[in-house]
Amino acid sequence: MVVGEMANQADLVVIGGGPGGYHAAIRAAQLGRQVLLIEKSEMGGVCLNKGCIPSKVLTEAAKRLDDVKKGRQFGIGSGEANIQFDRLLEHQQKTITGLRAGVEALCKANKVQVMKGSAFFLSGSRIGVEEGDKYELFDFKDAVIAAGVRPVHDSAYPESKRILNQLEISFLDEIPEHLAIYGSSPLQLELAMAYRSLGAEVTILLKNREGFPFDSSIAKELARIFKKERIQVLKDCIIQEVAETENGLEITIHGDTGEKVVKATHFFYEEKQKPDTAGLGTSRIGIEHDDDDGFILIDSQCRTSLKGIFAIGDITGGPFFASKAIKQGKTAAEAACGLQSESDLRFMPSVSFTRPPIASAGLTEEEAIALKLDIKTSQFPFAGNGFSAITGKRDGLTKIISERETDVLLGIHIIGEGAHELIFGGVTGLEMGAREEDVLFPSYPHPGFAEALLEAAEGLQGKAVHLKPQKELKTGAFHT
Amino acid sequence: MEVKLHDIGEGMAEAGINCFLVKQGDFVKADDPLVEVQTDKMVAEIPSPASGIVKEFRVAPGETVPVGTVLLVLESATKDAVITRSPEAENKASTELETALSPKRESIKQIHPRILASPYTRKLARDLSVNIEEIRGSGPAGRILDEDVYQFIEQSKRNKKTAEPERKIELPAARHSISSISKTIPFRGRRKQIAANLLHSIQTIPHCTHFEEIDVTNLIHFRNELKEAGRQISATAFFIKALSICLKEFPIFNAMLDEKKEEIRLMDEHNIGVAVDTEEGLIVPVIRSIQTKSLPEINSEMKTLTQKALEHSLKVSEIQGGTFTISNVGPLGGSIGATPIIQHPQVALVSFHKTKKMPVVNDRDEIVVRSIMNLSMSFDHRVADGATAVKFTNRFAAFIQNPKLLLLEMI
Repeated sequence: MVVGEMANQADLVVIGGGPGGYHAAIRAAQLGRQVLLIEKSEMGGVCLNKGCIPSKVLTEAAKRLDDVKKGRQFGIGSGEANIQFDRLLEHQQKTITGLRAGVEALCKANKVQVMKGSAFFLSGSRIGVEEGDKYELFDFKDAVIAAGVRPVHDSAYPESKRILNQLEISFLDEIPEHLAIYGSSPLQLELAMAYRSLGAEVTILLKNREGFPFDSSIAKELARIFKKERIQVLKDCIIQEVAETENGLEITIHGDTGEKVVKATHFFYEEKQKPDTAGLGTSRIGIEHDDDDGFILIDSQCRTSLKGIFAIGDITGGPFFASKAIKQGKTAAEAACGLQSESDLRFMPSVSFTRPPIASAGLTEEEAIALKLDIKTSQFPFAGNGFSAITGKRDGLTKIISERETDVLLGIHIIGEGAHELIFGGVTGLEMGAREEDVLFPSYPHPGFAEALLEAAEGLQGKAVHLKPQKELKTGAFHT
Repeated sequence: MEVKLHDIGEGMAEAGINCFLVKQGDFVKADDPLVEVQTDKMVAEIPSPASGIVKEFRVAPGETVPVGTVLLVLESATKDAVITRSPEAENKASTELETALSPKRESIKQIHPRILASPYTRKLARDLSVNIEEIRGSGPAGRILDEDVYQFIEQSKRNKKTAEPERKIELPAARHSISSISKTIPFRGRRKQIAANLLHSIQTIPHCTHFEEIDVTNLIHFRNELKEAGRQISATAFFIKALSICLKEFPIFNAMLDEKKEEIRLMDEHNIGVAVDTEEGLIVPVIRSIQTKSLPEINSEMKTLTQKALEHSLKVSEIQGGTFTISNVGPLGGSIGATPIIQHPQVALVSFHKTKKMPVVNDRDEIVVRSIMNLSMSFDHRVADGATAVKFTNRFAAFIQNPKLLLLEMI
């Protein structure tokens, strides 16, 4: 620091304008703080600009196209359903810019000062902001680091516009002819299905010894749906080489059946992401980081090891969910204002917008067994649900896991129409420490998908009405 | 691994942190002392439950924390870790002053076991600065309810009050007192622990108590002679030494009954507990291996331990491992006999009462003035018979009536 430099006074600074950052900023402003938010790129962060939002426009388009195609059974005539991809991309951009303007307006309305530039900590109470040739200093009382992560760019794949990482995959300018996807993250699975519905041939290359990251019952149902959708799934793949040819890619994989070449036009892989803590100067000023991967260490109030400095969201480590950043952003802002808030993410739901969507919270059956818990499990197929029959959304199932001795719910897993909304009932129950009766007792709207959740819970006690009695199924008494 | 403050005896509810005996980054072995704590009765060192590296401190010296509080975090150690960690820990020392907190990566998959409490109740606990993990839930399946949080706070308040008796003085006189209760004494913490121990003892052990009169005139003379020679030895020290000699002859009273294993274990060491009355209640520091110690040694050790007991600076090791207990209520005056309750799982206990000058008929049928002390001995009637106990106190009386006999026992 140059002697004599003038520092501006700031009350609370937030570094990063993603979902975590702007939630922190606005919550702190609501609590009466003067907030300075520093963003080096666009407000809304990866979620709004590159991740959740753009990809969900694609999954929504795929769902609607499918609905239109299936409209005939309801007597809806619409000619040949097709997709105009350029108009979809236009809509995608409009959605992004519209939401971004909304975030900016909210910040303004809450008197959050938004400043463009890169932030660099000079000490535990002073930060520098650089934008082009401008450089300003701020002395702050509290800081919330919400700077996120970025791809490390260490893959061995060649530079090619056909080879795409998680920040690029939602911005193809055409529907790929054949998309090969290496991995099974929620984003990868939902885009596999979306691009498939939009007309692409899709091949999923599961990583070596990795399956679908869900409870086994959900994974099995997803595999069935993929098969039905004619999405090819190859197991235990190790990528040997991805080579660009004249009109596509040749992906050489080593699988359980030896070496194999998959010809595709596009290749989607998830790149490892790491925080840019060196660029932020956080290590320099003594904030504690994880020794292995460099994420900032925080407590349940999102406090770092330095007093008055908080960190939230991706920069504190995975899972890289906006929902986590949002929760932590509010927690950090409240803690900075002296409230006793806390983030407890154990029942944070994970959601994939496949068709139908998948959502889960709590323990999977496998995890519960690994913990040596004495459990009960029950699943109910959407095919047995009245509303599924009406809507024609008959794929999927709900599954509930409870502890035998206490009846306390341990996990809820849903693949089926509306799963991403239905899971909320499950999350609330888990947070409340609900037992079976707490789910069985309330009245459920009829007809509705939520009844599938109710019947899964009833199944724990062998009394789901729309399931055949289990004993008879087992003994086959009616099959003589 | 989290090292918590556990109840180190006497039903303590909280303890003050005196100092840490290790530094961050230090490698410690199992049982190495980690932190020195002060309860209202004693000073104790909390030993390490396992070997590891001291990762972080969760409390600061000077704080008073309830039982169950995490004091520090140990990281299980491998040799590599020691090598790579140590220099880092040194570097950290410079920034340690401004490093106020030691955050850790949140575990988000830790679903079982967990605290069963609604988010509202959890917030309530946070807002009231209560660690919800310390609360025992009264709801179904161990669920923590709002009332449990409030009750926990009430309870810690009450515990605090017992620990700080001077506060009672500050209390204003009960102006609105309706009933005739002048004061409510909380039946918690140490008082409750003492009660539990005594109840267990009296319910388990068939107590048998007998009384004995002992002429201590000669002992008084002998002590005066020693005093003139510049050596002051308390009467209690003589009692302890004489008891030890008797225990050698009657080892059944220096024993432990293990009901489960169906055996009576005769102990080699004569570790004699000496009951000390303190403001906060009875505490029994233990003088070890009396059988190997001289009278002056016993005398000075007893003095030190009594002083420590009054100053509440006894270590845990100094109140454990007793094999026989005495209680000298003589200085309190008054009492002529008692039916003392044995310290389970010991076998016997002796109380000494006030010495009084009394007219006694001597061997020559003359009435003389002698100093007489009463003694009460309770013993476990399952382990020993009445006759043995009477022989034991007779032998003891012989030593006290004629202290020179002790000379014969010199090794």
